[in-house]
Amino acid sequence: MNKSALYLGLDVGGTHTDAVLIGEEGIVSHYKAVTDHDNLLLSVRKAIEGIAGGADRKKIQRINLSTTLSTNAIVENRLEDVCVIISAGPGIDPDNFKIGTYYYVIDGSIDHRGTEVRSLDAKLVSRIAGEVSGKGVKAFAAVTKFSTRNPEHENLIAREIGSAADFVTLGHKLSGRLSFPRRIVTAYFNSAVRRIFENFSDSIEECLCDLGIEAEVNVLKADGGTMPFSFSRGIPVESILSGPAASVMGIAALCDITRDSIMLDIGGTTTDIAIFAAGAPLIEKEGISLQGFPTLVRSLMTRSIGVGGDSAIHVNGGSVSVGPDRGGPAMAAGGTVPTLVDAFNAIRIVRFMDAEASAQGIADLAKKNGTSPDKLADAAIEYAVARIKDEVNAMLGEIRDRPVYTIHEMLEGKKIQPALVYIMGGPAEAFRDKFAGWLGAEVVVPPNYDVANAVGAALAKTTIDIELFADTCRRTMIIPNIDVRRTIPSGYTLRDAERDARNSLAEHRGSLSAPAGGSDMEIIESSSFNIVEGFYTVGRDIRVKCQIKPGVIKRLT
Amino acid sequence: MIKAKNRMGLIFFPAYDWAISPTHPEREERLLYTQDQLREEGIFDIQGLVEYKPDIAREEDVLRTHFCFPDAAGVTTESHMISAGGAIKAARLLLDGQVDKAFALVRPPGHHAMKSVHGNRGFCNINNEAIMIEYIRDHYSTRRIAVVDTDCHHGDGTQDIYWNDPNVLYISIHQDGRTLYPGSGHVSECGGPTAAGRTVNIPLPPGTSDEGFLYAIDEMVLPILKHFKPEIIVNSAGQDNHYSDPITNMNFSAQGYAMLNDRLDPDIAVLEGGYSIQGALPYVNLGIILAMAGIDYSHVREPDYDAAAVRQDKGIMDYVKRLKEAVLGVYFNPPTYEGLLPYRQYLTRRKNVFYDTDGIRETQLESIMRCGECTGVWSLETSSTVYPLSLGIEIPVGACTACEKEGGRLLDNAKKSGKYKTIQMIDRVKKEYYSR
Ligand SMILES: [Zn+2]
Ligand SMILES: [Zn+2]
Repeated sequence: MNKSALYLGLDVGGTHTDAVLIGEEGIVSHYKAVTDHDNLLLSVRKAIEGIAGGADRKKIQRINLSTTLSTNAIVENRLEDVCVIISAGPGIDPDNFKIGTYYYVIDGSIDHRGTEVRSLDAKLVSRIAGEVSGKGVKAFAAVTKFSTRNPEHENLIAREIGSAADFVTLGHKLSGRLSFPRRIVTAYFNSAVRRIFENFSDSIEECLCDLGIEAEVNVLKADGGTMPFSFSRGIPVESILSGPAASVMGIAALCDITRDSIMLDIGGTTTDIAIFAAGAPLIEKEGISLQGFPTLVRSLMTRSIGVGGDSAIHVNGGSVSVGPDRGGPAMAAGGTVPTLVDAFNAIRIVRFMDAEASAQGIADLAKKNGTSPDKLADAAIEYAVARIKDEVNAMLGEIRDRPVYTIHEMLEGKKIQPALVYIMGGPAEAFRDKFAGWLGAEVVVPPNYDVANAVGAALAKTTIDIELFADTCRRTMIIPNIDVRRTIPSGYTLRDAERDARNSLAEHRGSLSAPAGGSDMEIIESSSFNIVEGFYTVGRDIRVKCQIKPGVIKRLT
Repeated sequence: MIKAKNRMGLIFFPAYDWAISPTHPEREERLLYTQDQLREEGIFDIQGLVEYKPDIAREEDVLRTHFCFPDAAGVTTESHMISAGGAIKAARLLLDGQVDKAFALVRPPGHHAMKSVHGNRGFCNINNEAIMIEYIRDHYSTRRIAVVDTDCHHGDGTQDIYWNDPNVLYISIHQDGRTLYPGSGHVSECGGPTAAGRTVNIPLPPGTSDEGFLYAIDEMVLPILKHFKPEIIVNSAGQDNHYSDPITNMNFSAQGYAMLNDRLDPDIAVLEGGYSIQGALPYVNLGIILAMAGIDYSHVREPDYDAAAVRQDKGIMDYVKRLKEAVLGVYFNPPTYEGLLPYRQYLTRRKNVFYDTDGIRETQLESIMRCGECTGVWSLETSSTVYPLSLGIEIPVGACTACEKEGGRLLDNAKKSGKYKTIQMIDRVKKEYYSR
């Protein structure tokens, strides 16, 4: 970062748009406004105008944007028609994975080693393409089983579709991971939001030009990393559900997290929870699910529960509960139903706006249920705290019970032992004492937590993850999602594969003009198995997973 | 998204860091391609199908089931304890009501491991299914259990462990012992005097295909199960009957395995053998999982499947049909020992056991009390080329007071005699397992 350069982080959330401008010395300014749901572009423009004056705008070097654009399009079903062409071969009936109106299963099959078992019915592809383009369908997705081992059939489908398509999403370009059904869903969503995203990108670029900003623009992903705008146009699906990741990366930037930790982001209606292992946010084992559809989109492990400051307090036959419905705003802020914030306010754990109104509301509800105001407020708070603790314990249990596949991991597997609990969000201070001593961890309420999401967006690094697969019998090496495929010598080793994975990743990062970090590239998994035929070893089956770790380019501590 | 009809637990433990030796069929990557196939099919996203981590079996779980010489640690490694623990996990999930079906897709296998263990036989050290069954009988009220072993090799270990136990029905379908390791599993082997007919062997000729296997299930296994009325059916799900298996000679297919499982409807399946790791296991395991979960498996088939090439010879079906009479006879009209053998006396049996993997030879003398009240206290005198004369004594599940006392007497006498290097005691009444 050169001395006067500024980084702009923008989190266009469901409710609020937050922006923060960060310079060498830290946060320069921040901005918050209600998101204009129907015009996200306008929200972005206003935020940039609101946060940076003419002089500063010239100095903005990098803009990182977390947007709900793709998510909303999917959730609200504002999707373009997509023609999905797949080939499956033997296995589960591919009709089970039907998605969208134009779903075609054609003949052709590739096995788990990437060997072509049946050739692709290419003629049928061009017939289908002709037919659907007659109906105005211009977006396509091509997905074949085991395409991450051999993408030939997907490539062939794309060639056969040819100019009938405005764009074709190829399954193997989305991720190196195995899961045919997830590949289908992800490719479909990707094509279905691509035009919306592209139009949005164009408008943003125009808008920046208008405002005289020449910064590089990146888009935040659910795994807490960013991707360059230009690159995201090809895989807009990677921008879904990035909101929680922004907050997590914000905490990472605001606090010097080095140990096992828990993050609680207690908002108005929900509490988001994330877990850090030795300072690094944990990543979900599989991709994130959207609208009940599991995808291949990599994501941080976060959970959201319906407990927040504005959650309504309920009394039901003597038992007190909170949420998941929103009761707020709090009575202290002119609301009509007592909320969790009112409970804290009534027993003076915090002082928030009209404390009298809170006390009155709690007292009335207590009277109606034959209890004392203090008892009611206490019970509501205890309930909320217990719900959050239960969810954290469930997450820790899930991590502990994650299947492992080697004896070594079974016996020596690392356990998460949280040393710190970071609490952020509006009611953070109120909860501080409630979590004190829990799990033997120390509680920290970081400063500036109210802009953590925008800070996280501003400072998140570019991330990339790849899976290399090599088969020395077939003499092939492939890294599907970054389009690497080459012939290898029969003596190719695990060490060669690890080197190739690192080099290919670095090269790809270079092509994205993402700045290289020092030790942020890591091999996550690597294995080499004998391929034995008869009683002789005839080759090696080599697999390497490599990533640029999610993280921040600088800390504000 | 696909929804499973049955809530199903899958305990997948491929032990990627364990092998008997680098080119031995029981080696690291045995389940690698199966995992690839299951992941690519999206098995783990099926609603109602959950993947679980195995338990690690404890020493007491092994000693409750086996006489180990010199001790449990001496004949097992961590891999065996995790594999057996996978089977125990399957049982716990089922009996605690968390799932309707469970499949322990674990290695190493166990069905050649007998009551007495001196080393590794047929790739097995300890018997995963038996350890699981004894865990069940120790922790739950379940008493009647049937094991249907569909591995291509005769499960001589499981047969040995339950030879005298009338409450555990052991049925094995396998390639005829005259043509394959371990050579046993003839129809005439049908259980000891207290459990006659509770061991059922169905030896099929080499080359038997789907038709023959499914006939054996429909016409032999199912009628017997219907009569026995087990509380739990366990499938020892070996996959080496597959036409592509390198060490056997059968013509069974993935579709056949799925149909077999569908008809058998086991509560628990535990993986046994199966060494065609690329051409068979990915598809056979997929078929079994779908069948157990109650999901359509009709599209599961090997890429190279050719119905004509694996069709069985005409003579095979005639042979299998003739076999039916003999097999049903064994179960429904077993040999009777009534009146021939007096009560409260010991019946003895001598056996020689060969451990192919480790090259060990063992000599056994089994003495079982003929008891009208319970299955009878018994002892096993054993010595081998790696371990001197030793003794195992078992007071069985549900032993009567007389047999319990007799067990104590046997132990005292054995100690006094000074003949034995090690004495292993299994007391299922007091739940105590120890060596002297
Ligand atoms: Zn076998
Ligand atoms: Zn008795």
